[in-house]
Amino acid sequence: MTQLQARGLVKSYGPTPALHGITLDVAEGEIVAVTGPSGCGKSTLLHCLAGILRPDAGEVVWRDQRIDTWPEAARSRLRRTEFGVLFQFGQLVAELTAAENVALPLLLAGTGRRAARTAALTWLDRFGVAELADVRPGEMSGGQQQRCATARALVTEPRVLFADEPTGALDTLTGEQVLTQLVRLAREQRTTVVLITHEPRIAAYADREIVLRDGVIDHTGLGLDASLAGGAR
Amino acid sequence: MRPGTFVRLALAGNRTDAARVALTALSAALAALAVLAALSVLAIQTPPGGPRQESEHYTNALLREPGLRGGTAFAILLLTIPVLALAGQCARLGAPARDRRLAAFRLAGATPGQVTRVAVLETGLASLLGTAAGLATYLVGRALLHRPDVNGRLALPTDVLPTVPELALVVLALPLIAAVVSALMLRGVTATPLGVTRRARRAGRPRPWPALLIALGVLGAALFEPIRRASADGLDTLLFAWVLLGTFTAVLGVVLAAGWISHRAGRLLHRYARSPAQLLAARRLTEDPWAGSRTFAALLAALAIGAGATAFRAWFALREQVWREDNRRAGISAFDDLDDQRSAFYLRTMDLVDLAVGVAVAIAAAGLLVMLIEGITARRRTYAALVAGGVPRATIGVSILWQVLTPVVPAVLLALGAGYTLGRTVNADIVSGGDWEPVCRATAELCADPATRDRHIEWVLAGGVVRSPGVPLEQLALLGGGAVAATLLTVGLGVLLLRPNTAVEELRAT
Repeated sequence: MTQLQARGLVKSYGPTPALHGITLDVAEGEIVAVTGPSGCGKSTLLHCLAGILRPDAGEVVWRDQRIDTWPEAARSRLRRTEFGVLFQFGQLVAELTAAENVALPLLLAGTGRRAARTAALTWLDRFGVAELADVRPGEMSGGQQQRCATARALVTEPRVLFADEPTGALDTLTGEQVLTQLVRLAREQRTTVVLITHEPRIAAYADREIVLRDGVIDHTGLGLDASLAGGAR
Repeated sequence: MRPGTFVRLALAGNRTDAARVALTALSAALAALAVLAALSVLAIQTPPGGPRQESEHYTNALLREPGLRGGTAFAILLLTIPVLALAGQCARLGAPARDRRLAAFRLAGATPGQVTRVAVLETGLASLLGTAAGLATYLVGRALLHRPDVNGRLALPTDVLPTVPELALVVLALPLIAAVVSALMLRGVTATPLGVTRRARRAGRPRPWPALLIALGVLGAALFEPIRRASADGLDTLLFAWVLLGTFTAVLGVVLAAGWISHRAGRLLHRYARSPAQLLAARRLTEDPWAGSRTFAALLAALAIGAGATAFRAWFALREQVWREDNRRAGISAFDDLDDQRSAFYLRTMDLVDLAVGVAVAIAAAGLLVMLIEGITARRRTYAALVAGGVPRATIGVSILWQVLTPVVPAVLLALGAGYTLGRTVNADIVSGGDWEPVCRATAELCADPATRDRHIEWVLAGGVVRSPGVPLEQLALLGGGAVAATLLTVGLGVLLLRPNTAVEELRAT
């Protein structure tokens, strides 16, 4: 079942075009990797799909509802409740502990502090960083920070996770560990994942790979290692 | 490296760097204006006829009376405190971008010393420009404001000019001081090709020991009157310095106590936080409680001095009232006009102090705004990520409001309390009614000898009613409310910058 659709997305930054009429469908529970060279429009596409940016033309449809016309507050609420977002770096609040960072989306949704902390600890444990619950980001390694950020992105059990170069700032081994955990948990939760990367190795974790070039879809294909990464799915 | 290259590198940078240079120059200009104004007051010559001869060609008694000029110049110089605090805040503006620029210089082959010189030169040049602008403004303003009234009297000392060496000293010393302070601030900073590292600031949670400083300051002020009574004439300057030292100690205590207040307020807020905004604010307060001291130093100092001034005003008002009542009781009406003039003089003086405090609060609010902008800019990537994740901007705005208001309200109350107590204890209670009686303050032998007795006689009011001035709650509330309102306005202005700083483009910046 198609969960998220882009229809003829066009987006420019002033005179610089970023997207030239992109159309794609993402099915429920599917892991899609969007790849391509720097400046091809990958991040812009993700930001439009997640409702962070409004396209200049075209439509973004989420479960049969056109969300690109929604006001910002409604799109923010959608991101808070139905979507999770994950970036390369700089997303954890430096002053909050790991547990507080992970609990933040739940607190925003109105969950009590105790319940939010319990859920946060559970998710930190799933990513193997439960012992860092009361540690601040500045005292963690890059990999540990990204595990916490991933736990935060998934703590609300979103239907779609948007990940923009989530392992871009990590070394190869740590990046693969983080991504393996992310993919495993996403599959367990039946969470749809839109993953931006410029590394074919990372794209191999996806069910489908979409390659962008100069703001248009150059070609699509199956993730090279999708079955292996997905296990028995 | 050639001097021209140094200058070019020092003044290179983005818009934030330009804003920092402009604000540093503005602070230097304001400081130069304050120093030049104080020097002008001190440049007024006392006319021949004795040290107490008044300069009748001024309308304002603060300029006319030689005994008041020193205090007036000092009060004007006090205005440089919030200005210098503003300059300190400006130096932090755009620090991350500057750090990246300095690291890029190192990567390009600059030595650590050259990088430090570039950073110091930026502050020095900006201050030199500002001081020169301040001097030009002073000279132009002096010419424009030189408007004698029909009696040929002047409202401002526009007929005098500090000496050329004094002017040169201001123009050169202020930038030099700014550059030296900048160099001192860079002591714990190491610029490497891979980035700029800072030596960790003081660790540990703040302790309430600044309360001791406040107590010491108040105690010093309380001892003023007993010491004055017990001391011989001619110690006025020393006693004045004593009170100043007490005031400085107490105000320093208030400023340092802001760190402890921030920490306690943060812990308390964290315990009872019910919303993410409160949680964010609480963590920030406990993480860097000294930010409160840095941020509110000028505001709290201005408030403490302002509160002290309200105590003086209340004391003056009561003293005038008591004098009038005593004169009326004694059937004397000849001094009524004199009393009115004296009252008007004191009240005008206090109005000037209030004006100075108002200006200081405004400058302090500007410093707070700079700090807020810097805080938002430094966290823009985190904020942008939070907003992208669905966190409403309002939540971040409210967290900033909590972060500022939670410590500022108790700190303002402390500043008002300490300042008022200081001002109140300096002035003794006033005795109303009673009769003046001679009391000999010496040994029995000296008092018994008619030749020496007169020298030790002190006239003491006996049988009078001791009256204390009431607490000027209305004025204190106005002062504190004004400061909190200025803070709120500043936060409101700062929060306006959240939208551009949480734009998704911030996530793309490296």
